[in-house]
Amino acid sequence: MDHFAIVTAFGQDRPGIVALMADSLYQLGCNIEDTCMTRLRGEFTMMLMVRLPDGIAAEALGQRLTPYTTPLDLAVLCRAMPDQAATRQPALEIPTFMLSVYGADHPGIVAQVARTVAQHNGNITDMNTRVVGSGERPIYVMVLEIQLPEAQQADQLRQALEQLKPLLGVDLTFRPLESATF
Amino acid sequence: MAIRPILLYPHQALKSTSIAVVPSDPAVQAVVQDMLDTLAASPGVALAAPQIGHAMQIIVADVSRKKGEAGHGLIVLLNPVILALEGRKSVREGCLSVPDYTGNVLRYEHALVEGLGPDGRVVTVSASGFEALAFQHEVDHLNGMLFLDRIHSLSTDLFRRKK
Repeated sequence: MDHFAIVTAFGQDRPGIVALMADSLYQLGCNIEDTCMTRLRGEFTMMLMVRLPDGIAAEALGQRLTPYTTPLDLAVLCRAMPDQAATRQPALEIPTFMLSVYGADHPGIVAQVARTVAQHNGNITDMNTRVVGSGERPIYVMVLEIQLPEAQQADQLRQALEQLKPLLGVDLTFRPLESATF
Repeated sequence: MAIRPILLYPHQALKSTSIAVVPSDPAVQAVVQDMLDTLAASPGVALAAPQIGHAMQIIVADVSRKKGEAGHGLIVLLNPVILALEGRKSVREGCLSVPDYTGNVLRYEHALVEGLGPDGRVVTVSASGFEALAFQHEVDHLNGMLFLDRIHSLSTDLFRRKK
């Protein structure tokens, strides 16, 4: 039975972080599976799903990684992944939507948008946000991928989001994600 | 006449370059029929010959198999060539030969495609939207190209700055 762990790590961005992390995991006998890595301004952040070798528990992996990652001063956290969550799922035809929200930056935009999505049984499956614009007039941009159990629920969610516009002072568009498989 | 299995990457047939065919060749006609049978039995709307293991320049498409799409109905093209493309756009695309994964690729809204019909006559198709995407995707297969070769951005592409 395979066992999996989620490893998160981050540190000041510089060339070689991915190489170091990948090589360290390889040396320890881990197999890197799905990952997501990105740079948040000057910080490079990594989320890796790894298949563990026999004899290393997820909890121990963090300690085993430390000697490798210390030179780059990476913060590392490991946690076991439930087998069920680690299983590769066939891509299901779940209605998927994109939501773009943007406006003058102020606290509370993410919280209110996310709450509205959750109240309509929307599942946020991917999300990115950025503060852009000039220093004096920062603009907040967020882009979300949302899955809904039923496509019919989209209209209700759209209406609820429209009502957020004057409250939050944002503009937004909510649209189906067009995906084509040939 | 047979339903063939749709090959999955890493089958190397999917990475090979297909050769031009002669419509009157019985072997070509047999492959066309297999492709039609396989398409009819598949969940997809289009197929290229390499997907059933033949390095031949043959594609079949019938976007009307998808709800809400009409296009030109069933089209069989031998030796297809894309003559013109217009209207660049980003599309999230997947492929029956690379299951359970999609990626953002750059395609065109309109495609003018020319090839030979199974009877050897020249066929020109001016396709738009979903049908145009299907032709671009299938012609790529004839050149050993998968959508994986064309992924132009990760999901965060919106934020990438042009320098």
